[in-house]
Amino acid sequence: MSAAGARPIVEARGLTRTYSANGVPLRAVDGVDLAVEAGETVSVMGPSGCGKSTLLHLLGGLERPDAGEIVLDGRRVDRLSETAWSVVRRRTIGFVFQSFNLVDELTALENVELPALLVGASGRRARRRAVELLEQLDVADRRHHLPDRLSGGERQRVALARALINDPLLILADEPTGNLDSRATGEILRLFADLRSSGQSLLVVTHDARVASTADRLLSMRDGAVVGHTHLGGVSPVGSVLAGLADFGDAEGAR
Amino acid sequence: MRSVRLAVRLAWCNLRRRPTQAVLLLLTLTLATAMFGAGMALYGSADRPWDRVWAATDGFHVSAAYYRDRDVDRADVDLDAARARFAELAAAPEVRAVGGPWTHLYGLLDVDGGSEDLTAEIRDAGRSAVDQPLVTAGSWLSAGSDGVVLEQGLADALELGPGDTISVQGHEVAVRGVAMTVSRGRFPLSRPAQIWVTPATGETFRRIGLTEEGMEMQLRLNDPDDADAFAAAHRDIEAIGETSILSLETWRQRRTDSHSDIDILAGTLFAAGVLVGLLTVATAAVIVAGRMAAQTRQIGTLKAVGVTPRQVVLALLVENLALAGLATLVGLGAGRVVAPRLAEASQTVLGQPETPALTWGRVAIVAGVAAAVVVLATVRPAVRGLRHSTVRSLASGARPPRRPGHMARWVATPGLPLVGVLGLRSAWRRPGRLLTNAVGLSLAVAMIVVAAGLRPSLARLDAAGAASASPGEALSTGAVDTLYEQVRAIVLGTAGLLLVLATINALIIAALAARDSARNHATLRAVGATPRQTMAMLVVSQLGASLLAVALGLPLGLGLWSVMDGGDLPPVPVPTTTLVAIAAIVPLVFAALVTLPARRWAHQPPARALTYE
Repeated sequence: MSAAGARPIVEARGLTRTYSANGVPLRAVDGVDLAVEAGETVSVMGPSGCGKSTLLHLLGGLERPDAGEIVLDGRRVDRLSETAWSVVRRRTIGFVFQSFNLVDELTALENVELPALLVGASGRRARRRAVELLEQLDVADRRHHLPDRLSGGERQRVALARALINDPLLILADEPTGNLDSRATGEILRLFADLRSSGQSLLVVTHDARVASTADRLLSMRDGAVVGHTHLGGVSPVGSVLAGLADFGDAEGAR
Repeated sequence: MRSVRLAVRLAWCNLRRRPTQAVLLLLTLTLATAMFGAGMALYGSADRPWDRVWAATDGFHVSAAYYRDRDVDRADVDLDAARARFAELAAAPEVRAVGGPWTHLYGLLDVDGGSEDLTAEIRDAGRSAVDQPLVTAGSWLSAGSDGVVLEQGLADALELGPGDTISVQGHEVAVRGVAMTVSRGRFPLSRPAQIWVTPATGETFRRIGLTEEGMEMQLRLNDPDDADAFAAAHRDIEAIGETSILSLETWRQRRTDSHSDIDILAGTLFAAGVLVGLLTVATAAVIVAGRMAAQTRQIGTLKAVGVTPRQVVLALLVENLALAGLATLVGLGAGRVVAPRLAEASQTVLGQPETPALTWGRVAIVAGVAAAVVVLATVRPAVRGLRHSTVRSLASGARPPRRPGHMARWVATPGLPLVGVLGLRSAWRRPGRLLTNAVGLSLAVAMIVVAAGLRPSLARLDAAGAASASPGEALSTGAVDTLYEQVRAIVLGTAGLLLVLATINALIIAALAARDSARNHATLRAVGATPRQTMAMLVVSQLGASLLAVALGLPLGLGLWSVMDGGDLPPVPVPTTTLVAIAAIVPLVFAALVTLPARRWAHQPPARALTYE
């Protein structure tokens, strides 16, 4: 799947994950091959329950595959222990979830600086970088609030700042706009576009065509398997999509 | 009505969804109700047998007793003066029949290993109009025969019956019969040992050295209910001096005092029931609070379909009250099974003990205890549920920071690892949960203190029993030990039960804390925290609760113990070293318990906790 000559940031080969539903085995991910190049944005689309979130969790080590291989930054990681996976995630992967998954006892600022502290950054450095990111994402004025005092869009921006603080090789985003209104969706998509233009590798799982269309490549999944593969670069102008979404959001907000 | 029906349906669904929590709550509640039930079934189980013997022996309504110091030549009130006062009493118009006065001789009964204090009551051979002992074996005294009749308890202790002989100060005498009466309690808890003898045998006893120590007279009145008034009206006859005593006692007083061992056992069971009940409040509160924290999603769904906060709270109450009702039934039933076995071991019951009828009043007391436990545990979420919106009342939100967070600065402080800071932050931002867990654990700590106090107290009880044994108690000392054994078994059983319940309580708190923080910890894992780090965070966050529990539980336990040791147990302060050990060990054990469920969560891939909301 990878383009010739470029080393993929993450590569999956024959990735399989089976669940048991009332004793009946159910293949959530069925022999998926996948690669994400450096600086590339890949969207994974498909109906609910097709296995796209499970695929993302497998790639980030939040779940274990039954079969197949995962190579992250040139290193095979699918057999790592839970502890080793945690250490890999600290430096290599940033997660953005549909339900934000911010630690609800920590303020926005504390949530963002947490991964930096985990990799051993000094408190001052972690704070400076966290404030910087929150300012970039236009949520710095809310940094001393707990997550439940933030709007959905603000929470997702905080989650994105948290994902970015250690300059990860790869951002894994699971339905990042799934819980957001149109205005917030527009803001997040604009941020993703900025990330893409800055050379950040992104793998975005979504069932929203507008989100998927902002990627370089689009993978379609059904029943756990990748059934389609489309290059979108230049086909769907991201700027016009975002502009449309922003207009829509403004109209919603004006009501 | 529709609300109640809906609440019942919701309660039934909850019970089916959480059988383990329901079983735990039922188990702890049942332990408390069973102890109360047993105590109640035991209390009064000697009354009916006493009443039967009282009726069969034409038992006294008022008893007059005179005793004098055998070692002085002339007592404050001498025998002649006492006889005069007895005669005055017997002549009162309310008196329908008189038994006695019967002279009492004091001597020593020869038994294996020594001697036992003995009273020989001199009776005429014929039937007395009042207090004619009920013969259970052999026959009553007869003129021209020098045999004696043994009191039932003495006969049982000696394992003797008609045809056997006893030795009184070296003089052997035949046993004619065995009898019981309410005017004399059962040996050995009623001492000295009692026998009945004819005047002829009394003369023989005098010759071999038995001394006259007093006399008793039993009166029947026209109306037994007048006994208290009669005794009060003749208090001037009483005389309590340094060398003699003349006193009146009514049948009701004697009936109340007649089964001291059963009262001690019942009292011990009641005390145990109260302690277990207290711990059950803590367990129930922790279970209910934990469920509230975990139930937000379900409550939100219920709210979306139109269920009101009041209905949700009603469902919670219905569910817990149903468990309380079940615990009442099981507890009362278990109590009535256990109580007869305890009562059969009694050394004071005249004949076979009878469990008193189960009255509505007794059922209400046990049910009230069970209901109070669950209502106390449910009251806080219930009040919150009624005052606030459903989700706000049931979701346990974190406390917002008053000042900008200083996590990064704390982490920069040497000696404060990130996991410690995160754990403390988690505990600090959820003070309600911290307090609930601390209160639950503090009751457990208090029970450990009480259990620790019981042990030296029982040891002192043993030592006191051994030290107080005198030469004239060779037979009774061993028999009294049997009662101590029963009390000891109940007390130690209760202490063990309290420790087990305290451990279960701590485990429930630990499991709920681990489950409660599973999502946050999965998030931390997603951003790079290791399983060991998340486990350490949980331990640190719960350590605050255990330290607070120690601070609250130690004084509470000492307070409870000071109340308890003023009763039947000798006062023994809990050693300081024990308190220090409890203060040190409880947080460590709790930390170890917390790691058990935390380990299970920590070693699972975090995806499940993250995706489930």
